[in-house]
Amino acid sequence: MKISLNWLREYVDIEMPRNELLDRLTMIGLICEKWTETPDGDTVFDIETYANRPDTLGHLGIAREISAMTGFPLKERIHPVVELPIPTSEIVEVQVLDEDLCPRYTGFVVKGVKIGPSPENLRKKIEAMGLKPINNVVDASNAVLFATGQPIHMFDLEKVAGPRVVVRRAKKGEALRTLDGKNAALGPDMLVIADEKRPVAVAGVIGGEESGITEATRDVFIESAVFDPASIRRTRKALEIQTDACYRFERGADIGFAPEAAAMAASLLCSFGGRVSKGLVDIYPKPRKAKELVLRSLRTADLLGVAVPDAFIEKTLVALGFSVKPSAQGSWRVLVPSFRVDIEREADLIEEIARFFGYDRIPAVVASLGILDPVASDRLQIGRLSQQFFHFGFDEVVNASFADPDKETVLGTGRRPVTLRNPFSVHAAILRTTLLGGLLVNLRHNQNHGTEAVHIFEIGEVFSWADESRHVEELTLGLLSAGPLGLPQWSRPPAAANFHHLKGSLESALGALRYAMLVYEPAEHPSFEEGSALAVLYKGERIGIMGRVRDAICETYGAAGPAFAVEIALGVLLEKKAGTFAYEPSPKVPAVVRDLSFFVARDVSYQDIKSAVERAAVKFLESFDVIDRYAGPNNPPGQTSLSMRFVYRNPQATLLAEEADKSEQKILKTLKAAFKIELRKGGGA
Amino acid sequence: MPSPDLEKFRIAIDAHRAKLADACAAVRDAAGLEELRNRYLSRKRGFVTLLFEDLKKFEAADKPAAGQLLNLLKTEIQEKLAALEESLRTPAAGGPGVDLTLPGERLTWGAAHPLRIFQREIESIFQEMGFGIEDGPEIETDYYNFEALNFPPNHPARDDWDTLYINDNLLLRTHTSPVQIRIMEKHKPPIRIIIPGKVYRRETPDPTHAAMFFQVEGLVVDRNVTFAHLKGTLEYFLKRLFGDKLKTRFRPSFFPFTEPSAEVDIECLACGQKDPACRVCGGTGWKEILGSGMVDPQVFKNVNIDPEQYSGWAFGLGVERTAMFAYGIPDIRYFYENDLRFTRQFHLK
Repeated sequence: MKISLNWLREYVDIEMPRNELLDRLTMIGLICEKWTETPDGDTVFDIETYANRPDTLGHLGIAREISAMTGFPLKERIHPVVELPIPTSEIVEVQVLDEDLCPRYTGFVVKGVKIGPSPENLRKKIEAMGLKPINNVVDASNAVLFATGQPIHMFDLEKVAGPRVVVRRAKKGEALRTLDGKNAALGPDMLVIADEKRPVAVAGVIGGEESGITEATRDVFIESAVFDPASIRRTRKALEIQTDACYRFERGADIGFAPEAAAMAASLLCSFGGRVSKGLVDIYPKPRKAKELVLRSLRTADLLGVAVPDAFIEKTLVALGFSVKPSAQGSWRVLVPSFRVDIEREADLIEEIARFFGYDRIPAVVASLGILDPVASDRLQIGRLSQQFFHFGFDEVVNASFADPDKETVLGTGRRPVTLRNPFSVHAAILRTTLLGGLLVNLRHNQNHGTEAVHIFEIGEVFSWADESRHVEELTLGLLSAGPLGLPQWSRPPAAANFHHLKGSLESALGALRYAMLVYEPAEHPSFEEGSALAVLYKGERIGIMGRVRDAICETYGAAGPAFAVEIALGVLLEKKAGTFAYEPSPKVPAVVRDLSFFVARDVSYQDIKSAVERAAVKFLESFDVIDRYAGPNNPPGQTSLSMRFVYRNPQATLLAEEADKSEQKILKTLKAAFKIELRKGGGA
Repeated sequence: MPSPDLEKFRIAIDAHRAKLADACAAVRDAAGLEELRNRYLSRKRGFVTLLFEDLKKFEAADKPAAGQLLNLLKTEIQEKLAALEESLRTPAAGGPGVDLTLPGERLTWGAAHPLRIFQREIESIFQEMGFGIEDGPEIETDYYNFEALNFPPNHPARDDWDTLYINDNLLLRTHTSPVQIRIMEKHKPPIRIIIPGKVYRRETPDPTHAAMFFQVEGLVVDRNVTFAHLKGTLEYFLKRLFGDKLKTRFRPSFFPFTEPSAEVDIECLACGQKDPACRVCGGTGWKEILGSGMVDPQVFKNVNIDPEQYSGWAFGLGVERTAMFAYGIPDIRYFYENDLRFTRQFHLK
């Protein structure tokens, strides 16, 4: 809200330097970060106002705050007029048909106004508000609005058929050409001002072009009314119009002030040669009683943490326009002035007291607090998981939850995306159904900026419709790996990103959460190259997929492959019960380590071999792993060479070589029977 | 078709043999080895394979000689590759000839995203003070995001929270405050929590605006909780975050869900409150850092907590804004580009 210092001084004396004024206004909640000085010595402040304080949307309201702050009283306001001998009601018939949307309607007629340029004082005010002066009548109506916050509308009386002014809901199919030159289609939920025949204004929002003030206007009907805030808001949203008037009406106009605003406007028009009709038309069928609240001294101290002196409380509220009567011991009955639409409860009054007492005078107290609430275990698990990925060289990324619907389709998650009704961009019109899109965008960005090694992970929500009416937010883990694993070294060059590095990182990280081992099965997925993907299963439930991202998809995202990625439904996993941690004594007896190297048909997967060994329940077998693999041309056709290391141990006693031999034979027998493996020359056993 | 010249074939084979040693010396790892193996022996495009194709073009008389030359080369290559494979498995020994001034191995590790680092820093300060950590859904209903927080339908205060809607009822939460309601519905006071999380606004991204950003919300509900506690706790928090000598300022503001409400400013760290033309604070010397206030009695009523028995305070802070101010980061979008040159800097913090 633009506020002119000179204009303010019409309502209250201000005798302090500008910076002091601004500092003190800040401390009562009126912050001004920008101001301009005009050539004629005025200062125009740009003051931030709040949605609940329509009273500060005019100079009078700001002056009232300053008066309460400094103790200088508000100046008396007079609105001298030249009066016609004819009563207003004899010139124009005013009717309010829908009083639910228009609780008060007042008006005057001013005849014989000489339209022309505004006098200098008025022009300066209009210019200070950042507007261009139009003519004295239009400027006068704007001046009343910016002076008092009460919007005024002026009709050219000769264009109002009847003349009758009817406040009613629009009829179906009615339309109005408005002052901004547009045609507004009106509906039965909109309030209009109509004459005998048709609407002449959208009530509280914008006037009609035809009944507007022109150079030829002589007689003016001044409207000063109060409209229902919610109705104004709905109407201006439907019509997509924002005006200074509706901005104020939708925040709540001062129902007590409408007559004075009409008088003020009439007074201005009389200074342009007009003469005002006798007696205000004032349709106010249900006069509102002032709200009465109880304010307790003790409650004030309890909420603020400081005892504010009773005298200060009374003085402040009176200065703000409240009427204050001591009631029971330590409490008051407070009547709320009509311009303070925001004050409805005791807490609102306490805020007023705090504002003027000064937030800086309230002490800062650190309470002694009880014991710490435990942190949700999900957060601890996620923290540990992240830590693992950092160790393995993965950088954390955070992407926006939005996705480009065109690109998301390519990723083929098969989930029904949640679409935004009013996206800020067509490229962010849905919520992501997968983390992969964001990770590929990150890959492209980093490749384009000279970073080849991109190993990243994200933990965040993905969104979709589970069915027609139920949406789901799923906590998801995504990893993407492309480029060299590590920095160039003189001692040994880094390996390139590959499927098994990614798989190992995932297994080790999830292992740290003490979940049972993951199981994999071959899978096909639109995001991954054919034959390159594995579904990830936890206890038989599919919780994710990993593989080599299709080159064509990398291309769609402008990134260069090969890129490997995995996505895990982390939320599903975190709901499972993780294993409990238990200490195990380190073995006191040595293990026997034996390697086996053998050829096996290429179509036998390691997972098959692993399961077979596990199922065989080999005595003393503590652990086993693959330590080498060769698939080169020196092998028999169609065969892979595998070397596996088996660790045998008897926790109770040193294992004898013969015992290890027996175990080893059992493994061999199992593998030969299941997969027809052939031991390599020198392959052990 | 004329038979190829046997002599030329021999020269070509010798040329391959000559390059073999260099090619092997350049191999550093298994992948390089595999590549080399393919270059020579790939069943489709390997040099040797192609030479065998050429062999077919020789006349019967020259074929055996040419074939012998080629087989020798092939054996030699296979032996070299086998030797290379073996040597790759043996770690390089740091013998006496190694230059000890060569740099140590450059080890890499991953870094947390700066937003998570700030978020955790904020969390840990509050955890030390005995606050729990909670979260809630990002897709919210109108009720939790607005109505329960004392934004009546059709109230202009809603305009200050530009909202992304899914339908008439569902929206992307514009603040973490709906989690306050969800927690207060389920838990009886005393409540002492912070709620970090993503929030959404309908903003076109620019250096100071993002359609998604992180907020940390705080809520304390108990008997005898006062505005003085709000001040004391937030002052302590900000000093922990920005330094012991930090000047703070609490000034009146408006939020529908708190009454009284306060905006909290901290002194401008960029200019030390000294530069009237400071670009960070606009010369005011202060920087707005968080919004706060005493929980509005209507909010308590909405969750069936008696405002006569209990009082509380709440605050909300934008993580990006705070981090931008603390580190002089000029553009909020940097956080979401995930340029590793940017994000990796912050683990040194």
